[in-house]
Amino acid sequence: MAARKMATKVLNNKTCKQITDLVYAYLNDRLKPAVKRDFQQHLRICPDCVSFLNTYKKTVGMTRSLRAEDMPSKVRENILDFLRRRIRKTRASA
Amino acid sequence: MEIISNSVSVDRREPMPAYQSMRELGSSVESEQAEATSSEFEPTLGNTAVAKASYKSKEDESELVRRLKARDEQALEIIFNLYSAKLYNVAHRILGEVADSEEVVQDVFWTAYRKAQSFRGNSQLSTWLYRLTVNAALGKIRRSKKKKEVEYEEYLPKFQKDGHHVVRPVVDWSDTLDERYANQEIQQLLKDTLDQLKPVDKSIIVLSDLEGMSDKEIALTVGLTVSAVKTRLHRARLFLRGKLAAHLGHCPR
Repeated sequence: MAARKMATKVLNNKTCKQITDLVYAYLNDRLKPAVKRDFQQHLRICPDCVSFLNTYKKTVGMTRSLRAEDMPSKVRENILDFLRRRIRKTRASA
Repeated sequence: MEIISNSVSVDRREPMPAYQSMRELGSSVESEQAEATSSEFEPTLGNTAVAKASYKSKEDESELVRRLKARDEQALEIIFNLYSAKLYNVAHRILGEVADSEEVVQDVFWTAYRKAQSFRGNSQLSTWLYRLTVNAALGKIRRSKKKKEVEYEEYLPKFQKDGHHVVRPVVDWSDTLDERYANQEIQQLLKDTLDQLKPVDKSIIVLSDLEGMSDKEIALTVGLTVSAVKTRLHRARLFLRGKLAAHLGHCPR
């Protein structure tokens, strides 16, 4: 019972470190409702964690916006040529 | 030219085929090119009209895999058309070089053709192909002398004993980045920072934030537990955040 009370107390008084550890689950909406409430409660009183969360989200958003390099058509042809040659060689030696 | 040689050490889900070096496989590429132009044999592969088809169901995929295991060239072409561009993206994002990425994708499809028997069907075909790609790219990085990775610790958040941030206030630079840098500069800055991640972590970031895979799919691809993927992904993001903060002149911690 005492252990449960202690656990509840810790959850209701989250530290910045705990918030940092929970950011991943929070952004994926995987926190249990009670934990999520504590998380959001902490944000209401801690501008440092708001800044941290904003910059974390910005980092993820920027990473996600990195453009992919399309496969050049020359590369596609090179690979197909390679595969053709290999397959033919394999068949010839079989 | 170098061909895939090692499976990544963390991959324990499905045995990787024993790759061979190009020398073991036979002649050099140059001599093969001459051979290709002089032959009367016109292989199916590359005749894209033959194999534009896609497949939608698991049954279709099973059939495609069965055909691949029977060394059906059209099946290889269908798979190539379906996945080569995506696999190239992954390879290029991990390696950053066109030539290296080409070599990886080439090796992946050649391996898929030769070693299709080693695909047991425990995962989707796409997961197997992604796994071959990531393993080949990581193998290339391991053998490369251009290692840029740095220690994460000094760019991760640091806390006092009571759990509060050591350096306060934490600066919110999220709105200033777009003002200070043109889009291209931000992209380059991020790419340079991604290059400093541990290769496995970089792969996980690529598969998650760039390819949009779920944590579970990533776990199957890189051969780690879902929990380990989450931990590594979070830590890598924290590192990237710290590096960006430092670049902007703020405390990374």
